[in-house]
Amino acid sequence: MEMAQRPAETKLTKPAIDWRGRLLDRAPFLVACLMLALIIGIYGGLQSGVFSLDELNLDTAAAMTLMLAATGQTIVLVRGGIDLSIGGMISLGTVIAATRFTDNPSTTALWALVILALGFLIGALNGLLISLLKLQPFLVTLATWSILNGVAMIILPTDGGSVPGWWVGFASAQLIGLTSPVWMLLALLLFWWWFRATRVGIAIQATGSNEKSAFLSGVSIARVNLVTYGLSGLFAAGAALFLVTQTGTGSPTIGKDYILPSVAAAVIGGVSLFGGRGHLAGTLIGAFVLTLIGNLVFVLHVSSYWQPVASGVILLLSVLASSVAEKAARNRVQ
Amino acid sequence: MDLVTVKGLSKRYGGIVALSEATFSARAGEVHALLGENGAGKSTFIQILSGAVQHDGGSIMVDGQEYRPANPDAAQARGIAAVFQELSLIPDLSVEQNIWFRHEPRTLLRTVNRGEMRRKTLALLEKYNFPALRPDQELRRLTLAERQIVEIAKGLAKDPRILILDEATSALPAREAEWLLKLTRQLAAEGRLVIFISHRMAEVRAIADRLTIFRNGSTVAAHEADAVSDNEIVTQMIGRRLDRLYPERVPTATDRIALGVKGFSSGSRLSGVDFALREGEVLGVGGLQGHGQRELFQSLFGATRASGTIELWGNQVSISNPRQALTGKDGIALVPEDRRGQGLLLTKSVRENLTLSVIKRFTENGLLSRQKEAALVKEMVDFLRIKAGTPEQLAGTLSGGNQQKVIFGKMLLTQARVLLLYDPTRGVDVGTKREIFQLMRDLAAKGYAILFHSSDMPELVHVADRVLVMRNGRIAATLEGDHISEEEILRAAMLETKAA
Repeated sequence: MEMAQRPAETKLTKPAIDWRGRLLDRAPFLVACLMLALIIGIYGGLQSGVFSLDELNLDTAAAMTLMLAATGQTIVLVRGGIDLSIGGMISLGTVIAATRFTDNPSTTALWALVILALGFLIGALNGLLISLLKLQPFLVTLATWSILNGVAMIILPTDGGSVPGWWVGFASAQLIGLTSPVWMLLALLLFWWWFRATRVGIAIQATGSNEKSAFLSGVSIARVNLVTYGLSGLFAAGAALFLVTQTGTGSPTIGKDYILPSVAAAVIGGVSLFGGRGHLAGTLIGAFVLTLIGNLVFVLHVSSYWQPVASGVILLLSVLASSVAEKAARNRVQ
Repeated sequence: MDLVTVKGLSKRYGGIVALSEATFSARAGEVHALLGENGAGKSTFIQILSGAVQHDGGSIMVDGQEYRPANPDAAQARGIAAVFQELSLIPDLSVEQNIWFRHEPRTLLRTVNRGEMRRKTLALLEKYNFPALRPDQELRRLTLAERQIVEIAKGLAKDPRILILDEATSALPAREAEWLLKLTRQLAAEGRLVIFISHRMAEVRAIADRLTIFRNGSTVAAHEADAVSDNEIVTQMIGRRLDRLYPERVPTATDRIALGVKGFSSGSRLSGVDFALREGEVLGVGGLQGHGQRELFQSLFGATRASGTIELWGNQVSISNPRQALTGKDGIALVPEDRRGQGLLLTKSVRENLTLSVIKRFTENGLLSRQKEAALVKEMVDFLRIKAGTPEQLAGTLSGGNQQKVIFGKMLLTQARVLLLYDPTRGVDVGTKREIFQLMRDLAAKGYAILFHSSDMPELVHVADRVLVMRNGRIAATLEGDHISEEEILRAAMLETKAA
């Protein structure tokens, strides 16, 4: 048998690692880390006791609702989509919790499960509509956002209701000095580390990177959409369940405050709006950045209206950093 | 017994018949070439075989059993894998993730077993003597040729009984193309059936045992490869006698210099290029792939930054973006390498593609003149003989050759007179190739100046008036007259020349 000859001069050697390329790939994430360090530095300089476990516990609790919402959004963005309906789902989750949770733990647990299941199902429905009707995710989730918002209003027209004290207490429950939000943060990272290495996780990323190629490779795009948006809805429901530990009540309008920040957190953390690229670690850092900006504005004793201004500037800087890195990387290829 | 038997295969897209009553049969252990012009139905045929689309009528038998895959997965389950021309790779995954995509070895946690994946990747690359690839490199960092090689590895990773290679050599430099041909024979020797599609007759001649010819969606003939002549094959492909592929080369160059380039450098890929392109001249750019040809074209068009001086029709100009290159009459226009990605908006109509960059030309008092636009579009469609139902047909639905014509039309409408053609015949059928070469000569005769790169060396030899051979980002030699031959180009590209 004639063996295929390897072309001369292109011997299979163990190639050197492309360190510069790797660095450029991670540039947006590194920039986000730098920003966080800077903000913590300034914050710590102005306020005593910033570098403590208590502060970590407090800030993580403050950021956790956004983190949960942004986790779902990150999965959707990596798929190359966007999910606006999480706003409606969070509102709906809080009003169901505020009207149905009782002092009876088993009733409450049951309703918590119902909220989570509802989140997944509504998200999956988003995914189904996007695949079947071949509609833009933006439009489909805009519509479901409006619907869910309406339903939340019907259930509870104004802020009100309450969740039992023991549910509120969950957020301050401690294990070896760390409160449950910090443990949730670690759990989210663990989840991501696992999820992105599974075949489903890879298929979602691949579909976001190039849908046609993914299809030609045998990926079921409909199934990818179902899982992607289902998970996003599930995390939004989780965000609602956590949110009521912070507010203690239900609100039919509170969810909208998490839609764009969830996208902003991901983008600050280096997740691409065009799909295919991004890690949850970046998103979580982005969520911390957005939350700590609020603290910083507070200790600077300036009007709280400076918070959105600062968030916007940071968002612009992050986008700039990724685009500069992207250009540098592209020039290397050519 | 035949491994694959196809009878009466039909496929329609709306009102367009892509395949009608096509037949095909092939045996295990052979290399079976599929020939035909673009639009002849080859692509549809292999898309059906690989499960990407489903047929409307007829039957396919594989191993004596009915075969009708609902999707690419089902095809793979029956041992059929395709290496597509429009690649099926994921830009943001690494080389090895792409190779094993959806078939990754897994750990107990259901996550990808990276060690196992690396081991399997290296074993596969080693077994088939693949050119060097870095398994951990992200795909979007790879060149077109490297991606094509990854696509081949991905096909082989499924250990298919039937492997379909669709124009797999067209993106490869000469050495890698040669490797692929030998690999193809090796796969056949292992008892697999390789269905091989190429527009290069020499390759088909070198490796095919048998061949099937398609024309207008039907099978015209099937032959044992050594029982048929090149001329017969070409005649059957186009249905008429193709007198000559290359037009007569009548020198039309004047003494006027259209594009003078001095000390042109860009990054590490282009270092000090000097040349002069004359009015009415077709100047070829050759050499081994990756020696600065791409960078030269990109930089001249202003798409990549470069230093050095450019004189356009005698005036020194600075070009830092494509807009400047295209500005005014007699500017510079580029036919890019990646037709679908850079040259065309696939979801826009032929008309929109043609006129997008020249809207100014039919604007009157700030308003669009639809009449003027329609007239210009009609002129181009007729001049280039673009085969589209109407000017409103989407560019993405045209055959490869017609897409390339639209890009030519777009370029001509800009009124540029220095044309940079980067591999304009890649993946284009023989008939259109011939039209493109004729067009190049006609344009040269009209006073256009053409810089022309081709990955197919005979094209340079037969079409260009002079050939610049590039090596390591420099012009290693300029060949003229009788010195233009494949041998001379290769010699200049590969051997050190004496110091001048």
